[in-house]
Amino acid sequence: MISPVKIWRNQKKVAGLVGKTGKIVAFTRVRVPPSDFMSQAPYPVAVIELADGTRITAQLVDWEEKHLKTGQEVQTVIRKVFETGDGVIPYGIKVKPL
Amino acid sequence: MNISIIGAATTKFGELWEVSPRQLAREAMFGVLADANIEKKKVQALFVANMLAGPLGGQQHLGPFFAEELGLHVPAFTIEGACASGGLAVHAAVNALRSGQYETVIVLGVEKMTDHKPEDVAAALMGAGSDEERLSGATFPGLYAMLARSHVEKFGTTVEELAAVSVKNHFHASLNGYAQFHNILTIDDVMRSSKVADPLKLLECSPISDGAAALIITSAKRGIRILASEVATDTLGVAQRKSLVELSATKRASTRAYQKAGIAPKDIDVAEVHDCFTIAEILAMEDLGFYKKGKAASAIMKRETQLGTAKRLVVNPSGGLKGCGHPVAATGVKQIVEIVQQLRRSAGKRQVKGARVGLAQNVGGSGATAVIHILKL
Repeated sequence: MISPVKIWRNQKKVAGLVGKTGKIVAFTRVRVPPSDFMSQAPYPVAVIELADGTRITAQLVDWEEKHLKTGQEVQTVIRKVFETGDGVIPYGIKVKPL
Repeated sequence: MNISIIGAATTKFGELWEVSPRQLAREAMFGVLADANIEKKKVQALFVANMLAGPLGGQQHLGPFFAEELGLHVPAFTIEGACASGGLAVHAAVNALRSGQYETVIVLGVEKMTDHKPEDVAAALMGAGSDEERLSGATFPGLYAMLARSHVEKFGTTVEELAAVSVKNHFHASLNGYAQFHNILTIDDVMRSSKVADPLKLLECSPISDGAAALIITSAKRGIRILASEVATDTLGVAQRKSLVELSATKRASTRAYQKAGIAPKDIDVAEVHDCFTIAEILAMEDLGFYKKGKAASAIMKRETQLGTAKRLVVNPSGGLKGCGHPVAATGVKQIVEIVQQLRRSAGKRQVKGARVGLAQNVGGSGATAVIHILKL
């Protein structure tokens, strides 16, 4: 479980990343996930270059096969990071194709 | 000051369910004392490399824990640098000897991974990544898969060339009694194995393993000499790096190591490199200066770095992480054990003929730590 304090502290960083656009620089599809992400696998993860040049690693959501390519334009969105059995639900940044 | 390795030993690597971490450490430490043929009272300090005993096993404070197993209450330290813990512990030991604080020390690398579920091990290993990577659901195979795809797109590296790394390393492992795997692979076997993180397949990934390895390093006697021991670091996360087709830490640490050793890449006869995934060996070959960028993959496919067909440099004669197994913090120590055995000409069926200079490259995380050692007969 992620500490609720840590989730709270992270909110500022998350807020600063919402609604930005960028493009896929590299991607993969994770088929053997870490324990917290079991219910979501398989899912794509990508390195994204945002318009200001910042690069982030993020999970891709609302995607179709045709979106899995370098250069694909994406937008940052707020999503539930993963399911927790108890405690605070962590929300964070994911990206969806444009 | 000359720093030498006078003892080198490893346990069998593999799924060792019947053996505890304590027994693994004991076997490696008493094995290395026997190999060096010195009394244990000569040992003045113990450097322990470990990554996962805390998150997976609930045991930390490993310095005194394993010193007690050795029956010596000497100064003892734990060093953690993800999968580069072993190389880092050797580096720390070398520096302690150079300072004059100790004359003879043991470095022990030990890891017990197979007691736990793969998802739990994958999650614990992600401790070596960045917070952002953990929250993205990335895994280490996933991060290296993105490096692989970048290499494929930039240099036209083929998936068959990636597979050839595993084929070579399994061939070498088949000659190593301590290795986790002894089965020969074909490119087809690798290509048909299930995908873990596209484009990487199961048989391109180093396994989850148990094992321990140990060295005795001294400033008091002449043995296999350590000509250089260098470390470099980089961003924890892959995304924040300038290039996705190189590990800059490997480049920087090896450049310094070659300089200090007065050795060029072409002088290396045998190398143990960090092939946690197939792409990692290709990047290592390029970043260590053995091949130009984009040229290593086809050379590996042509068996230019394989025992028996190599003109000179043989890479990962132990079987590497893929074939020999990858008990994470033991790996960096085991790489140097292999180089010592090669330089002593005691590597048996996997002996690289006439080997005089060897290099070990140990990487932590997706390249945030790189440790380079250059050894000479």
